[in-house]
Amino acid sequence: MMKRLYSAVVDGKGFDILLVGLPLLFLITFSGLPLLYNVLMSFQEVDIFSLGSLIRPFVGLDNYRALLAQPEFWPIMWNTVIFVVCSIFGQFTLGFALALFFDAGFRGASFLRGLFLVSWVMPGLVVGAIWNWILSGDFGVLNYILRATGLISENIFWRSDTDFSLWAVIIANIWLGTAFNMILLSVGLAGIPKDLYEASELDGANVWQRFLTITIPMMRSTIGAVISLGLIFTLQQFDLFAAITSGGPANSSNVAQYWAWELSFRQYDFAKGATISTIMIITVMIAALLYVRSTRHEVRG
Amino acid sequence: MTQQPQIELVSVNKHYGGFHALKDISVTIAKGSFVALVGPSGCGKSTLLRSLAGLESITTGEIRITGETVNETPPRHRDVAMVFQSYALYPHMTVRENMSYSLRLKRVPKTKIDAAVAEAAKILGLEDYLDRKPNALSGGQRQRVAMGRAIIRNPKVFLFDEPLSNLDASLRVHMRKEIRALHERVGATSVYVTHDQIEAMTMADHVVVLKGGSVEQQGTPLSLYDMPATKFVAGFIGSPAMNFVSGEITGDGGSVLLDLPGRPILPLARQATPGRKVEAGLRPEHLSLAPPGVPAIETRASSVESTGSVTYLYCGGDPEIIVLSQEREPLSSGEPVRLTIAPENIHLFDPQTGLSIGQAAG
Repeated sequence: MMKRLYSAVVDGKGFDILLVGLPLLFLITFSGLPLLYNVLMSFQEVDIFSLGSLIRPFVGLDNYRALLAQPEFWPIMWNTVIFVVCSIFGQFTLGFALALFFDAGFRGASFLRGLFLVSWVMPGLVVGAIWNWILSGDFGVLNYILRATGLISENIFWRSDTDFSLWAVIIANIWLGTAFNMILLSVGLAGIPKDLYEASELDGANVWQRFLTITIPMMRSTIGAVISLGLIFTLQQFDLFAAITSGGPANSSNVAQYWAWELSFRQYDFAKGATISTIMIITVMIAALLYVRSTRHEVRG
Repeated sequence: MTQQPQIELVSVNKHYGGFHALKDISVTIAKGSFVALVGPSGCGKSTLLRSLAGLESITTGEIRITGETVNETPPRHRDVAMVFQSYALYPHMTVRENMSYSLRLKRVPKTKIDAAVAEAAKILGLEDYLDRKPNALSGGQRQRVAMGRAIIRNPKVFLFDEPLSNLDASLRVHMRKEIRALHERVGATSVYVTHDQIEAMTMADHVVVLKGGSVEQQGTPLSLYDMPATKFVAGFIGSPAMNFVSGEITGDGGSVLLDLPGRPILPLARQATPGRKVEAGLRPEHLSLAPPGVPAIETRASSVESTGSVTYLYCGGDPEIIVLSQEREPLSSGEPVRLTIAPENIHLFDPQTGLSIGQAAG
């Protein structure tokens, strides 16, 4: 028996199954089950005493109803939308601009491009700490620059002013994600054959027309992938909120992912935390679907 | 009325850093002619073509198209069309969109564009493929689309950058004729880069042989074959390649003594400097089996290959001499053979400079 099992692993189909099975087991244990557990919890009544048990009173959509009834629900959802859209817009635009800039291939371009990745490899909490200094109301360098250039006349208290607190996190998040966007877009740009540009130049296209008729259509799948990944990463962004504003003041910079954590681990309302997470899971799944679809439509000559 | 040349290259030089890619190239191309730039890889032929297109800038010299200096003119204002080696079709556009791209950029009215596409598609036999994307086409069809994209613009000059090198052998022969027929039909000036001397010989009115960034010789295809100015051109034009044997002019200046076993002496058609060291060039198709009593190269056939229409004899070993015969030679490997050549068909080259000594056929 053992011998047969051993020989199946060494030379038969068993090895293939082993190779597939190990990562699958890992995924089910550490991603699949917690995910399902989270969805289950969103339909249950959970309190601090029933935390240890799996079978708890089923309450249907009560948690969802209660959550929607909370006055801060819609403002926080709206904050999440602003945060996601503005972060992705900023990261993508700056990332694409930088990718095009480095694609010009001047001396040292690839070295500098590599340096940009430093911002991406840094932990979010560290980035948050750095931006706390930059955004600081009294002595922050951002206020200094804005004052020196005459854009503002008095200091903005970025982290404690309800009009600016969300933007403080967005700015930091754009800084954090731009490099990643740039690298992916650079790869996409490098994949466009140079002779296409030459052919279109001979066909009479100027720089702007070449960008619109060659670069953008050839980058379609890359752009789709970058934006979908951006959506996923932005919805996962937690560290910056923890480090910069803690969602405050008065929920002015609170977003779904941070609120879920707050509800679960600050207010010990695990059911509502799980409910928000479930709503986010659905959103991210849709983004992931879009991402997979966009990578499938690769166009290469 | 003397016609103004379509393209003039005047002492064109190009340096890439320390590398001198184009050396003092001057070529004049008449309107409506088909010119081939030919040479081994790295000879600068593609660089020259790209300089004509404006994709490369030249360091010194002048490029004129219809009398107008275009050194500083960007490619899109030169009114030249180019067919790339890779075809460079726009993969995200259909055949129709590929061909109409330049007209759409110029905002030509849609009815005119449709008519132009229809006409080009008809010439090239692409009517059934207009709505396909390039990746659904065969190599030959892509090649045609690339040409369609060029002819639809009706440009002053067509540039071809080794357009047939990605096709298989039989399709290449076919497309060669098609391009030539297209040229005769459209009548536009064409510059064609190739490393294949047969393409150059069969398609062009005027061949420019490049080597190491400079023009080795230029002229009509047959003049290059009959009167190669250098040993390089002699060896490059013609297939199989010319045989080269080192030797020495005899004391009376009327014959050449070849450095081969048996020291054969072949008579020349004209006088040369007695005692001069030379390289004798003997084309395979000019050599033949000698009748008895004629001065001849005595050697052995090391192998005999017959294709049915012609026979290749590989003779001797150092250097090997190839003979191309129209007859079915009743020979087998190892047999002794005697080879002769008409005196006027012997080419002589200087062993140091490689320059032709006099002109063989002259």
